[in-house]
Amino acid sequence: MNDSAVIVVFVCNWDGLSCIEAAAQKRLTFPSSVKIIRVSCLSRIHTGLIMKAFELKAEGVMLLGCDTHNCHFGIEESLIDVNYRKALGMMRLLGINENRLSLVRLSHGDGAGFIKQITDFADQFSEIPT
Amino acid sequence: MYNLDKEIQDTRVRLCLDCGKCTVVCPVAQFDVNFNPRLIIQKRLNSKVFDIKDGAIWSCLSCHMCFERCNYRVKFPEFIIALRGEAVQEGARVMQSHGGVLQAAMHMMSRQELEQKRIDWLPEDIVLTEQSDTRFFVGCAPYFDVVFQDLGVNTLDGVISALRLLNKAQIPFNLLANERCCGRDLLLQGDKKGFLALAEANLHEFSRHGVKRIITYCPECYSCLKLEYPKALGNYEIQVVSLVELLAPLIKEKKIKLGNLTCKATYHDPCTLGRGARLFDEPRQILTGMEGLKLVEMEYNRERALCCGASPWAYCSAVNRQVQGQRLAQAKAVAAEILVTACPKCQIHLKCAQKSEGQQDGQIQIRDLATLAALSLKEVS
Repeated sequence: MNDSAVIVVFVCNWDGLSCIEAAAQKRLTFPSSVKIIRVSCLSRIHTGLIMKAFELKAEGVMLLGCDTHNCHFGIEESLIDVNYRKALGMMRLLGINENRLSLVRLSHGDGAGFIKQITDFADQFSEIPT
Repeated sequence: MYNLDKEIQDTRVRLCLDCGKCTVVCPVAQFDVNFNPRLIIQKRLNSKVFDIKDGAIWSCLSCHMCFERCNYRVKFPEFIIALRGEAVQEGARVMQSHGGVLQAAMHMMSRQELEQKRIDWLPEDIVLTEQSDTRFFVGCAPYFDVVFQDLGVNTLDGVISALRLLNKAQIPFNLLANERCCGRDLLLQGDKKGFLALAEANLHEFSRHGVKRIITYCPECYSCLKLEYPKALGNYEIQVVSLVELLAPLIKEKKIKLGNLTCKATYHDPCTLGRGARLFDEPRQILTGMEGLKLVEMEYNRERALCCGASPWAYCSAVNRQVQGQRLAQAKAVAAEILVTACPKCQIHLKCAQKSEGQQDGQIQIRDLATLAALSLKEVS
């Protein structure tokens, strides 16, 4: 497990956070360098926040949210998709490897799923160039 | 390097007569009673209780309207930049628009180890001259197109058209694969540290490639590279020319022939190109070089042209929107089909204003000067 890569996880308060809580309840572990930032909904996250994380030297950014069509607020989920796409475009121009940003959707309480996603995500940083 | 007292001295604010002409012509003061250039000067100079974190200093659009009108040539826009620098130094937080995405990119661009992939968009038909010591400074257009994709702007198209026009004029040039943002927006926000980092990175890039002359299309880059870099860096001996400056005489003397484009257009003077760099006639010469194009002038044009309501990607508010609305209304009043501008920021801001007005019939088209000129070329061939 790569526990030195600083990873920022923007997580939605609902299904996203429930996965992390479920992982904690099952005493599953993930790298201590992962910084979890809870937001009310992933639609709150815009390109500026994602790029700010990279500016502050985060090695990876993960966006963890509810399953498609399962948003707690029932609002248009494509908002995060738009911002995700824009962030990828910015990263491409700045020469940051696009694998450093990931959009993950998990269903409620999937603790093991979260652990798998985050460890796979963290492990790739020892291999991918900037 | 910057010295606040000297900077304030250089802006000639001590000559301010308190006449208030600046406030009368200021587009912001028209809508916001709390913004008053004259009072800001008086407060800063006379009173020790001036609160540097006062929100008023952030409303200025740097449109140079006050400077144009001032009988004593008080450089109020530069004074505001000095105050913003002071505010940032004292810990003021800048309220950035668009989630600060452009500022984050600018800060990342000043990193030395950066390897951007910013010229992937280059079409095959553009001819670059490898050994040329002239570089075309693209500016942030590739970034703008990503951030503002939902507004339907295509600022990169303007850049590509500019390159095509240069090819047509047989002016040799090359591109810089790792050019940085010019940093003007950071300077306008009072982030002098960020600006200097970008300026130094750019200078390093220029000297590494032996650049002697720079051609820019973006007026912001033009003004920054030409006027701000020598001030900030000292030993800077690169000649900076604007594309419109280069092309206009060639078109006037019929050395390049533009094509036909039948429409009724009006030209919006970008503040930095017009009042800032005094290039009023050149863009109009390019426009009238197109056959069939009827150029009509808005009520407020040239030296009196209204700003597009742009801010340095910060503090965008209802006032900015009102200024933009007013500009669009002026264009509508002369019944122009196309509003032409030569600045990517004007294009973005006016399109944004149109978007918030909602889709309406008969909305004026906002086009880029170089795009139109290159389009007319296509119709010839």
